[in-house]
Amino acid sequence: MRIEKCYFCSTNVYPGHGTAFVRNDAKVFRFCTSKCHKNFKMKRNPRKVRWTKAFRKAAGKEMTIDSTIEFEKRRNVPVRYDRELVQTTIKAMKRVGEIKARRERVFFKHRMAASREKQKAHRKKALEAVKSKSSVKLLEPVSTTTEKEKIKVPVKAKSALIQGEGRSMGMEID
Amino acid sequence: MIGLKSTLNVIDNSGALIVECVNVLKNKVNNGWGSVGDEIVVVVQKARPVSAAAQASVNAVKVRQGDVRRAVIVRTRKPVRRPDGSYIRFDDNAAVLLNNKREMLGTRIGGIVSADLRLKGWGKIVSLAPRVV
Repeated sequence: MRIEKCYFCSTNVYPGHGTAFVRNDAKVFRFCTSKCHKNFKMKRNPRKVRWTKAFRKAAGKEMTIDSTIEFEKRRNVPVRYDRELVQTTIKAMKRVGEIKARRERVFFKHRMAASREKQKAHRKKALEAVKSKSSVKLLEPVSTTTEKEKIKVPVKAKSALIQGEGRSMGMEID
Repeated sequence: MIGLKSTLNVIDNSGALIVECVNVLKNKVNNGWGSVGDEIVVVVQKARPVSAAAQASVNAVKVRQGDVRRAVIVRTRKPVRRPDGSYIRFDDNAAVLLNNKREMLGTRIGGIVSADLRLKGWGKIVSLAPRVV
């Protein structure tokens, strides 16, 4: 039993799911859903379709070089069953998953920061281009709220350190 | 889905190249349509040319154009359901010719065949095929 990857979108294809297409040169294309199958039949390139893993990897939207990715690989050498090995593998899978998730979060943060800066620069540039080109003077942003003088109400500083405003907190005993 | 007038490629060395289905042999569930592992009756539409020298030799080409033969379907374009619930489809429809005793007419198979054949009792064909998918 093997969990295959969808040829088009690279998601997992569990046993009993999806369709396989076998070309006459015996290459097997597995598809997770009819959506992927149809896209394949339309001769679309998965690297050019934005929602596929192949696109995201190619466009630098996901981690591609990382040691955590190396663990999940198609291995053609069968491993003899070993109870200990299975146990440690399962433990390792969880740990690797945690590490991967954390690294992905960091990667995402970096990506977003870079894109924000890029966007800012782009906006600035666009604004200046409009300013210099157009004869119409852009209105300077005027704050609509006229500044009102704030009336300051003297607030008595209450301090928790002064017990009961100078009075003693003890019970009054005759 | 192989029925009357469907054409199939022949992937053995019997000499036939293209055959046309004229009948699907009945079994309990096929409803008149043939799938992988079903037996059909075919007419040879196109065969490899027979030279005089080849005819004299032992392994002569066995079929000619216009012959009516039995055949078994080995690949279909129509997706076929596997016992585990997944579906598999191939690039073309293909068949292997048989004699009246349900044995292969040719001695070799060139091309992939479906693994479903083994379940339907065509182990001989599966063992001869270069790739089974």
